[in-house]
Amino acid sequence: MSTTTSTAPAVGRDDLARLAEHWAEPRSLRSWFTTVDHKRIGRRYLVTAAFFFVLAGLSALVMRTQLARPESGVVSPQEYNQLFTMHGTAMIFLFATPMLFGFGNFLVPLMIGSRDMAFPRLNAFGYWVFLFAGLFMWASLPFGAAPNNGWFAYAPLNQVQHNPGLHMDVYALGLLFLGISTTSGAINFIVTALKLRAPGMSLNRVPLFVWAIVATAFMVIFALPALNADNAMLFFDRRFGTHFFDPSGGGNVLLWQHLFWIFGHPDVYIIVLPALGIVSAVLPAFTRRGVVAYSLIVLSIVAIAIISFGVWVHHMFATGLPQLSYSFFSAASTVITIPSGIQIFAWLATMLLGRLVSRVPLLFVIGFIVTFVLGGFTGAMFALTAFDQQVTDSYFVVAHFHYVLIGGAVFPMLAGIYYWLPKITGRMYHEGLGRWAFWLAFTGMHVTFFPMHLTGLFGMPRRVYTYRSEPGWDGWNLVSTVGSYLLALGLLLVLVGVVHAVRRGRPAPADPWEGDSLEWSTASPPEPYNFPVIPRVRSLHPTWDARTAESTTTGATADRVLSDGRRTLFTSELDARTERAVAMPEPSYKPLVLAGALLVFFTAMLLAAYPIAVVAVLVVAATIAAWLWPPRRPDEELGVAS
Amino acid sequence: MTTGPGPHTRLAGGLLLWYGVLGGAVAWAAHLLVAWPLDELTCAAGRERVAAVPLWLAVWLAVVIPGLVTVGSLLVATLVWRRTARASSAGAEDRAVDRSRMLAVVGVWANLLFLTIIVLGGVAVLVFPPCQG
Repeated sequence: MSTTTSTAPAVGRDDLARLAEHWAEPRSLRSWFTTVDHKRIGRRYLVTAAFFFVLAGLSALVMRTQLARPESGVVSPQEYNQLFTMHGTAMIFLFATPMLFGFGNFLVPLMIGSRDMAFPRLNAFGYWVFLFAGLFMWASLPFGAAPNNGWFAYAPLNQVQHNPGLHMDVYALGLLFLGISTTSGAINFIVTALKLRAPGMSLNRVPLFVWAIVATAFMVIFALPALNADNAMLFFDRRFGTHFFDPSGGGNVLLWQHLFWIFGHPDVYIIVLPALGIVSAVLPAFTRRGVVAYSLIVLSIVAIAIISFGVWVHHMFATGLPQLSYSFFSAASTVITIPSGIQIFAWLATMLLGRLVSRVPLLFVIGFIVTFVLGGFTGAMFALTAFDQQVTDSYFVVAHFHYVLIGGAVFPMLAGIYYWLPKITGRMYHEGLGRWAFWLAFTGMHVTFFPMHLTGLFGMPRRVYTYRSEPGWDGWNLVSTVGSYLLALGLLLVLVGVVHAVRRGRPAPADPWEGDSLEWSTASPPEPYNFPVIPRVRSLHPTWDARTAESTTTGATADRVLSDGRRTLFTSELDARTERAVAMPEPSYKPLVLAGALLVFFTAMLLAAYPIAVVAVLVVAATIAAWLWPPRRPDEELGVAS
Repeated sequence: MTTGPGPHTRLAGGLLLWYGVLGGAVAWAAHLLVAWPLDELTCAAGRERVAAVPLWLAVWLAVVIPGLVTVGSLLVATLVWRRTARASSAGAEDRAVDRSRMLAVVGVWANLLFLTIIVLGGVAVLVFPPCQG
């Protein structure tokens, strides 16, 4: 089925040598710090997010050990508060979104036929900020100063009179710091997908994964300012005595909840949408056909991205607002299940009409469908105000969102890891190890979280560090703990499988799965310039399309080889008509220096070392000025030569 | 030899297409951002009128007007879908037509979804007194 290969007979050796000269980065320490290659940055996002996932997962294991029996004393209440807060905060902000941004970084340029992201240095900067923000937050845990107010940090408990110490300052500043990375990444994805698509890749030929990443990026741009405003006001309240969330000073505690959930509910879809995009990308290779109802899946991605901004008050159904207000959000919360359902039925139809190839990525996709549908079902229950008010703040909620987030995000990510591992590392994974990992993770997930529906319905509140022996609580909590260890074992096997593939896996061919999208027409791992010839896309499934393949071989033209510099193509936004070739920036230390200066600024603000913060601001300003300073260009290029 | 549409026609056509695709979404956003704060803030202030207008009527208008805008958007998307269908069946292989057709399909279904949400909100206005807690 695959007709495009990584070799390009129409491109001469000279062209390939020039491309390598312009794009290759030497393996050196300097290159490690200065790289702007989207593939290296994407791999770093994946590894760093996985590292934070391990830390957050270990926190969860400690919590489950504590909750295995009633009145257990494995950790103190104060330690438990920090563990569950860091678990949630890290899983949402430091694992899920960055992991998906890692997939996006590595794959979006490859899928759209580009040689890099639109802003490679901004890309590198985003990674360094993400790394530093993650370390900034986790470093507080050994000092006993980690955030301790739950991942959504409700007022008034987040105020300094109720929560002294640095805990919530770390939370507010850490998330503000991280927000810089997420925002810059989102802008980069949008511009990349709109301007760097290969000629011919009109909107109706854009891969569904790219649609999902772009929709997510727009959601980040619109949602994150609410969280940033919330955290800035929280920091001002705590440090400088303002009263944004203090009713005695004219503030409003519900303001925190409104702003948090204006960000928070879209954030659920910010996490889930790219994961659904992974499912749409994986399925064609393992069903031997394109995903059914492409247009309706695009509709569903766009509709979810928009409607998700109108459902946030369903997190506040127990706050005493007018019933009529609730009904507007209840309506949106109910209707948003329709586009999600469209995608589920489209994938089921694809599997029904295609020829299934039972490999590990497909197993995780099936595990995703089962688990996500169950999570979506309880989600629809929460859209009903009366039911929501009965189970709010109980373990039923914990069960629901773990079904959504593990089922809807982690399983697709694992499918994506196994699917793209040959492309990312150039090595094949061990199939048997992968199957064991799937069954352990799938079983462990359901054994852990299904009983929480029951403990929730039996009245067990969430976020308690221990509990007295109650009918129905003790046994199910023990089952959940056993399940969590099974789940951890499954995830450990995933890690073992990845390390095994990297060290001992057999070399991967360019297209081991006979996939349909452009990344499979590059080498495994891809060359530094991705494509010797930028393809001319003539189909929604370019790697299965002979005419697209021809455009990179006998039909290759110099305007798509671009070997005389570090260049890629700009195309029009809607129909991807060729506009011009653009020069891409060289590697640079500036992204690292800027991120480092920001780390100093936020650390100084945390420790109230304001003179140091001022110096850091000056370094930030100087670095930005140097970054944006126009480069020296030959007079001929500027048009002033005689 | 046929001549293409002029720049004004192209601009009007483009704007109309985007109204057909995103009109319902924008109307629903306006509905939510007017109806919800109108209800919540007026009730929190202990009033049941906005200026001289009863609150229920103000909220009702914030349902009906966006609902009509969405219906208009749905009609435009349907029109684009039918016209691009004719162009496709005539055998024209044009990237812009294919892309417009896909956007029209997205517009039709999206407008139906947004109209459903607005109508459900409108039903709630008929059922609940505006300030019932």
